[in-house]
Order: sequence, then structure tokens, then C-alpha cells
Amino acid sequence: MPEYLVKENALADFFRELTQDRRLLTPQGQGENCRLEETDPSKVSLEYTNTHKSPKECFFPQTEKLLAFSKEADKPHPNEYRDLGDKAVATVIFGLRPCDARGLCVADKVFQNDRFTDPYWKGKYEKTLKIGLACLNPSPQCFCAAMGGSPFGEAGLDVLAYPRDKGLGLKTLTEAGEALIKTTKAEPGDLKSEIADLEKKAIEAQGPIDHFVAINERKIMELYKAPHWPTTAEPCLGCGVCTFFCPTCHCFDIQDEANERGGIRMRNWDTCMSALFTQHGSGHNPRPSKTERIRQRFMHKLKYIPIKQDGVRGCTGCGRCVVMCPANIDIRSVAALMAQTQAS
Amino acid sequence: MSEFEPKVVAFFCNWCTYGAADLAGVSRLDYPPNFRVVRLPCTGRLNPKFIMEAFKRGADGVWVSGCHPGDCHYIAGNYYARRKFILLHTLLESIGVDPNRLRFSWISSAEANKFQAMARDVIEHVKACGPNLTFRKAELQLDLPEVA
Amino acid sequence: MSNLDTLTQKIREKAKSLLEGGQADVVIGYRTGTVPLMAAPFFARTPQDCDQLVWSSFARLNLANYLPGRTEKVALVAKGCDARNAVGQVAENQYPKDKLFILGVPCSGQVDAAKVAAKEPRPIQTSEETDDSIKLTGPGYSTDLKKEDVLRRNCLTCAHRTPTLANELVGPEVPSLPTDDFSDLTALLAKSSEERLTYFKDLIKDCLRCYACRNACPLCYCPVCFVDETRPQWLGKSTDPMDTMTFHLLRGLHCAGRCTACGACETACPVNIKVREFNRVLDKTVKENWSYEPGLAWDQKPPLTVYQPNDPADFIK
Repeated sequence: MPEYLVKENALADFFRELTQDRRLLTPQGQGENCRLEETDPSKVSLEYTNTHKSPKECFFPQTEKLLAFSKEADKPHPNEYRDLGDKAVATVIFGLRPCDARGLCVADKVFQNDRFTDPYWKGKYEKTLKIGLACLNPSPQCFCAAMGGSPFGEAGLDVLAYPRDKGLGLKTLTEAGEALIKTTKAEPGDLKSEIADLEKKAIEAQGPIDHFVAINERKIMELYKAPHWPTTAEPCLGCGVCTFFCPTCHCFDIQDEANERGGIRMRNWDTCMSALFTQHGSGHNPRPSKTERIRQRFMHKLKYIPIKQDGVRGCTGCGRCVVMCPANIDIRSVAALMAQTQAS
Repeated sequence: MSEFEPKVVAFFCNWCTYGAADLAGVSRLDYPPNFRVVRLPCTGRLNPKFIMEAFKRGADGVWVSGCHPGDCHYIAGNYYARRKFILLHTLLESIGVDPNRLRFSWISSAEANKFQAMARDVIEHVKACGPNLTFRKAELQLDLPEVA
Repeated sequence: MSNLDTLTQKIREKAKSLLEGGQADVVIGYRTGTVPLMAAPFFARTPQDCDQLVWSSFARLNLANYLPGRTEKVALVAKGCDARNAVGQVAENQYPKDKLFILGVPCSGQVDAAKVAAKEPRPIQTSEETDDSIKLTGPGYSTDLKKEDVLRRNCLTCAHRTPTLANELVGPEVPSLPTDDFSDLTALLAKSSEERLTYFKDLIKDCLRCYACRNACPLCYCPVCFVDETRPQWLGKSTDPMDTMTFHLLRGLHCAGRCTACGACETACPVNIKVREFNRVLDKTVKENWSYEPGLAWDQKPPLTVYQPNDPADFIK
């Protein structure tokens, strides 16, 4: 797929052209306030580290209504749960960081695979084109390269952009992405070697990289029975911050709410850090303490997901949980402990 | 337009106010019908979450009534309850709930007349506040497609 | 040697001797965090572990939170607030007094990471502190912040910076500050009820219901929290604003009179909600009515577990 250039003075036009028949979401605000918002094409910013929350909420909101029923007898199908229809709108997201785009890929394989298709995720995912913005200066808490990604990673994106002379360099990655860029006045250009150089520099900026390869070589039960789990879990407060901010965490809980007029069925983000997550109706809990819960989280990210998804890890190195965990349980330290696990 | 008729959830102690309501009834003392009574064994049993649940579900007002200090069937239940009320009352008022929506009273089972007056007063105050639109859970939006 | 280094040294020495002497099975303290501006809770069980213990101005959690349910003998590295909460837990029968050793650290206040981020929005690579400043470095820059400009707001009104009931202090007492006079609340409470309701609704509009505030709180040790109860289910699981409001109000009420203003809840909040605002309304009431301060005596009864026949209640008709 070819590369394109957008000059500084053509940026506003470029974003206007992108949004001819779709809405534009871009990161707006700084730090804690940085979030994906519907953006006027003239107000796109390239100056941000990353969105505070991961972009999964665009496709998998914290609370999502799935079905509803009415008790009113004169309405069609009273007292029957009905689908609410696909309300997804055509969207282009500009400015996804490659780690987050890769996170969406991991979640996508959970919501759409050869066994299941989740219509709620699918509707939004298929109607969204994703333009990434590569990281020229990764943040000190970033470690995408250690997790098999790259500041110029392409997974999950239709187009990869990077800041270039106050304009943009673009590399199209899918046919849809190519078609989208073709609708704009972006000029073709050969940027292959420039991208390779910038990527090398950005990876080097993440310092010496441990890929924790030994985790891949250890067997599940070797890692599972490793002696470090109780001490790793000991500081854990059991809040859900790591899971709520994680770009790949996708667990949810189905809940009904009803009154005398009707009711809805919705799904809400759930968190494996909560004891309630695995509490059985009988009262039995297969993950009774935070040791089991912490082990589940890290085993899932670093072992179970790679097994199911051809080696792709469930952690993309975005660094959100590392920065936000109140007790400083750092997935890099846990990965290092897992990598040191002895073979049995 | 018909006058606004509020819904008030009333939590009454079994040993006093509940009896006062009964006495008011058999004495043919009329009082407004706007409240739904939940009978408690003692106001000490009142968990603040009951009050929140009432408001959450759209109650326009909440009325809690128990035994006069010193009269508790369980010696001191209402004394403990009183401390809870002080905090709850201050908290709700401070965060912007109209204090007229929340009433606490002591009514013994002999005070049918006080019960009648208090019931009228509670409803009058809640009426003056108007419907509770801001301190409740939003109506469920079913968003069902028009044609199925 | 800076005061912080001296404290670290003393903590390590004392921790070692407590473990070696069998007075403690575990020392709960802090070690240097893996990210800037962070000290991580650390559980030292061997004398060698003790060399990792540190004292810093990033020790924002409340370590008394780790006491309930523990069977080991604990030596707790405690700031003024942590120590008061540990005393509170003994008073509430959550941990036996004879197993507890409070290793008190006179505390000059803890740094608010959000305040630092507001002053230095660039990515931070390292943070190094001296007794009164923090040196931050990041890609292509280095800057110094005065510690007093970035302390957490609860640390600015701390009347018990030196632990009141410690078994041993590791450093000289720190002068306490004038206590919270709730002057900002007085101004807020003077506003109309609509304005106040809007203020409190806005305060929690970003709440994710991750319950980090609850879990970071040493007072929240219920085996099943009311938000997790399912029969009946008191709280919806969606992000409905009224459900969220109910959580914050009831959380506040449950902590009323027991809160030491340690600020762990606000530290843990990933979206920087001033969750303590609810507690402060209640603390103000508790103080005005019963002049009660938690954690100052081993046998102190929390104000909701006792009563006075003449408790002030003019609002009850």
C-alpha cells in the first residue's frame, strides 16, 4: 500500500474531506481530560500523549443497552424482549495510538470470531475507519515494543499517520483506508525509508527492551503454580481501575432493569478484580481471594490470550494500568516474574 | 390542570407512629392519602439506603417517624437512629435536596391528632416542592423501534 | 543526609529488629515505585526485604487498609492518618491491639500527583525528592517543584501529622497544621439548593464505579459492600448518575465520624474526583455536634455507635 503527504496548509481541508459522509472522532484535551470526541475538522490536535481512557468505549461502552420490552398492551410485542436495531453511524477515528489500535484487534477477536459474532460490537466496528497516529516520542511509561508492538504499529488500523513538518505523513494499510485517502487531496509520496528510520528511533527511545519471551516458553501450569502470586497480589486493593482502563479488557455483566412500564437488558463493564465477578449462585467462589484474581488477570493477558490469538498478547504496552494502579502493581514487573518462572 | 399529588414514602415504627395512624383511622380523623407506609420494628432499623431507594425510584418525599426519645420499645433504638438522622438530614440538605422533601418526627401511638396534623403538614410541604425531577433515577428509556 | 533518608534508615533498622526479635511477622511499609511520584505498598517478611523499605512524599495510600482479616503480627509503617486508622480498626475489632506495632512516621505531607501534572504537563520520566522540593525529569527537560505547592489538599489541613498513638516514632515530631475549618464548604453551603445539587452531580459525573475509593479506604472492610449486594440489589450496575450518587452518599455515611481525612480515596480515584467532599460535609457535622475526632484513643467509640439523651435534633418534629 502506498504513502501520502499532507502539507501543513492542507490539513484542515484534509480532515474536512475525510468527514464528507462520516463523523470524525479525535483526541481532544490534555492529560486526564484527553478523550475521543466528535471534532470539528478545523480543530484536530496532534499534540497529545494518549487518551485517558482507552478507545474501546467507542465500540464497547461501559453501559450498553441491548434489548428492551414494553408492558403496554397496545404496542407491538408486549412483554417481549426486542432488539433495538443497529444505530451505529459511519465514523472515522483519527489519532488512535498504535497500542490502542492493537488492543482493539485483541478485543475484536473476542467479539467476532468463527464461533461468535457480537452484533453490538460488529455494527460499530465495521462502520468505523481507524487512522492511527504513530508515536515519535513514546511516553516514559510506554512499553509497546516489549509486548510485541511498535510505536509505528499497524495492527487494527486502516491508515497510519505520523506528524511530518507540521503536516502529516500517511501510510494506507487496508483497501478501505486507501479508498478513504483517495477521496482527499493528500499527495502521493515515497516515505518508506523515512518511516523505517522514525520507527527505529521511537523504539530505541523505549530503552533496553525485555520481551519476556520466557513466558511464551513456559507451560500454563508452570506459570499458574509459580510461587510469586501471593506476594504479587498482596498490595492489590481489588479495585477495577486496571481493567476499566485496559484497551483489551472486554468482560461484561448482563443486567436487567425494569419497572411497571417495561424494561431493558444492558451490559456493563465488569472486572475480574472483583470477587463478585466469579461468585456463583450457590455462594461458591472459584476465585475466592485476590491472589487468584490477580493471577487470572496476568495469566489472561500474557498467557491465555496469546494461546488463543496466535501469540498476540493481551497487553499492548499502553501503560495505563501501570500509571493508574493505586498500589503500583506494574505489569512489567509481573511479566518479569512470570518470565523467571522455573520449568518443572 | 389538576393539582400535583405527591407520592411520599413513610417509614413508621411499629410501636408508635404506626399505631397513631391506626388510632387516627378509627377516630375518623382524615388525613391526605399521599403516603405509602413501610412498617419498621423500630426507627433504629432504618438504613439510609431505604431512603435513597425511595428517592431513586421517584418518591417526591420521605417521612420517617418513630417513638419519642425515652420511649423506645427496645430501650435506645431511636437514640441511635437520631444520630443517623442528624447526619443523613445534613448530608441530603447539603448536597441540594430540598429539606421539605424529608421529614423526621416523633409521634407516640396515643397522638392521633399529632399524626393527622403532621401528615397534612408533610404533604403540604412536599406539594410546595413540586414533583421530584432532580433527585431520582431517570425514567427507563426503552427506545423500542416503532415498527417491529 | 536528608530527613527523608534518615527516616528511611530508621524504618529499615527498626523493621529488621522487629522481624528478628519476633515482635512482627510482617512489616507493612513502602518501597520505591516503578513509576515516578509513586511509592508502592510493600510487605517485608525477612530482614533482607527490609532494605527495600523507603520513606517518601509519595506514600499516599493508607496502609491500615491492609490490617483487617490478617492473622500475622504486623508492624505498620504509619503516617499520622494511617496510625489513627489503625487505632480505629483496633477500636472496631478489626485487628487485635496486641498483634499491632505502629511504627510511626512524622509526616510532612504527601504529594498530589494531579497537582504535579497540572504544574508539569509534560511526560515525567523520573522524580527525585529532597526534603522540600521534587526534581522532575522527562524527555529533554528537568524541572524543580516546591513540595509545599503540590501537597494533597487533605495534607494542608492535617492536625495530626505526627502519629498520636505510635509504639515508636522513627523521627522527631512534625508541627501540626491548623485543622480543616471547612471554610470552602461554608461558602458552598451558602449557595442555593439547585446550585449545590448541580455541584455535587458534576463532581461525580466522570465516576466509573470502579470502587477504587472504597477499596483504598481503611474504613471499608465490610465482607459484602452494599453496592455488591444482590438480594436485594440496592444499586443498578450501569453508570446511571443517581445510582452513582447513591453510592457516594452511602459511602460517605458509612464513613461518617470514622474518616481521618487520609485522602487515600482521592489518591486512588483514576478520574480525580474529589470524593472526600461528601465525607467532609459529614465530618463537619460530626465535629460540630459531637466534637469527635477518630483514632485518638484505643477504646474510642465511633459516634454512630453511641448516643447522648440530649443529642441536638431540632429538625425532628
